[in-house]
Amino acid sequence: MKRHFIFYLFLLTLFSENAHGVAYCSLRDPVAQIAQLFPGKTNQLSIVKAVDDSTRQKIQTALPRNDLHFSELGKHTLYIAMSGREPLGYVHVRSEQSKWGLVEIVWAIDKDLKIINYVFQRCRSSKRKFAEESQFKSLFIGKNYRELKALLSSDGVTANEAVLAKAQDAPELVNVVLRCALKTLLLTEMLWREELKKL
Amino acid sequence: MKFLLISLILLLCSPSYADFSQNLRWSLDASARLNHNAAIDNTSRIYALGLDTHKVFTQATGDIGYGVAQIYYTKLSNHLPVPFLFDSKDDGDFIIREAHLNYTDTASWFPNIRLGHFTMPFGLEESIDTNGRLLDYYHGKNLGTKLDWGLGLNKVTGLFEYNVSYTLGGKDKAKSVNDSYAITGRIGTLSHLDFIVGFSFYHAEIDGVDRKRLALDWQYYWQTWGLLAEVAIGEDDKQLSKWQQEKYHLIELNKTAQHEQLKVYGQFIMRDKEYQKSIDKLANIGLSYQVNTQLELSLSAHIQLNTPDAGKKKQLVRGQIRYRY
Repeated sequence: MKRHFIFYLFLLTLFSENAHGVAYCSLRDPVAQIAQLFPGKTNQLSIVKAVDDSTRQKIQTALPRNDLHFSELGKHTLYIAMSGREPLGYVHVRSEQSKWGLVEIVWAIDKDLKIINYVFQRCRSSKRKFAEESQFKSLFIGKNYRELKALLSSDGVTANEAVLAKAQDAPELVNVVLRCALKTLLLTEMLWREELKKL
Repeated sequence: MKFLLISLILLLCSPSYADFSQNLRWSLDASARLNHNAAIDNTSRIYALGLDTHKVFTQATGDIGYGVAQIYYTKLSNHLPVPFLFDSKDDGDFIIREAHLNYTDTASWFPNIRLGHFTMPFGLEESIDTNGRLLDYYHGKNLGTKLDWGLGLNKVTGLFEYNVSYTLGGKDKAKSVNDSYAITGRIGTLSHLDFIVGFSFYHAEIDGVDRKRLALDWQYYWQTWGLLAEVAIGEDDKQLSKWQQEKYHLIELNKTAQHEQLKVYGQFIMRDKEYQKSIDKLANIGLSYQVNTQLELSLSAHIQLNTPDAGKKKQLVRGQIRYRY
């Protein structure tokens, strides 16, 4: 029994394309948290995909000077908020490193891959409440990847002066939220595009 | 229990349009742990190799639920005292850690239904997974077991979450042993927030010992610091003697590096048992370093601060290397 078990585990390692470590970035409770962003949803549909080193490379190419945190590698879930058989939009959780540790943001995305809303699953910045106000959120809501990328400054990791002026109280947090939004939309497009077309 | 488990598996699988590998996450998990117990001057090792899986079951209109299965071959080498799952200090056996299904496609007002082998929903352990880690909140010592086979109801609402279970008290066995059982529950504020408070209860008969517990736990996180505590009061009845009071307090301060690779923690624990003359006071310090997505190194030292009624002070140093592929 023991030898068989170890043999099967070995075979699994040899023939698997999906080997991975721990992926930390997920919703603690999809049922409740997705309802917060899509109050009309009746259920959610999970689609799990692997974020691997080649994905990481593509992110670095598309967003120079940016990287994925090591905990972002592994299998990740995109949730489709459903009303019966009708998709309402998508929910994607991403982590971004900050001086307060990882910030985990739950993004609500529409079917045209524009940001609808977001909530923090974890944010230990003292500016969290400010970043949850509609004025701050309006910097991101309604924008797609291309429009959000235009908000970056020339260094590729911080927001431009116009955005920073609107987020005077939380310049570091606005940078974190912006980088997270960009990676979220880019990964959604890169990894889940084919599945989303079928819905 | 087996009938219920098979029924729930069929319920989850039958409407699925996807093949089994869809929405399946799995990891091979290997670890080697070195322990030095200074009180008995013994050095031991524990090796574990297993499969950790998580599967979301779906149908066209959405998710039905998910299943978790963790099976490990675990080998002891000169390990004393011998854990209850093993026969000797050099024994090896298959150990099932978590193995449960959680049916989530219920009406919005109705809880999710969990069936299988799961961690008792009590205290800090409810929101912090310690399986396979050196970090511990001492469920086994306080409740008589950390995991048990049974049925649970759980739900997260917009304001609070709860998890209650009826389990069979057989620990690793999916059956009641000599009328064993356990009723466990916790209600608390949302566990992803920075300030969490929970209230737990427990009433069980396991291994011939009746146990009753009430507990309050809380967690507060500020930037990269965490302050956690658990206070439990209750009583034990070892059948031949009378009910005897027990109190348990744990306080933990932890710090995580900004990149989250390094975590350090210190715990202070007090156990006050009516039948013991002195109160056990213990200190734990530990760290874990996540080298990359797969590899984690951890160390811990466990020291007894008071002089026990009998025997030597506990002094345990442990190191672990863990690789998940």
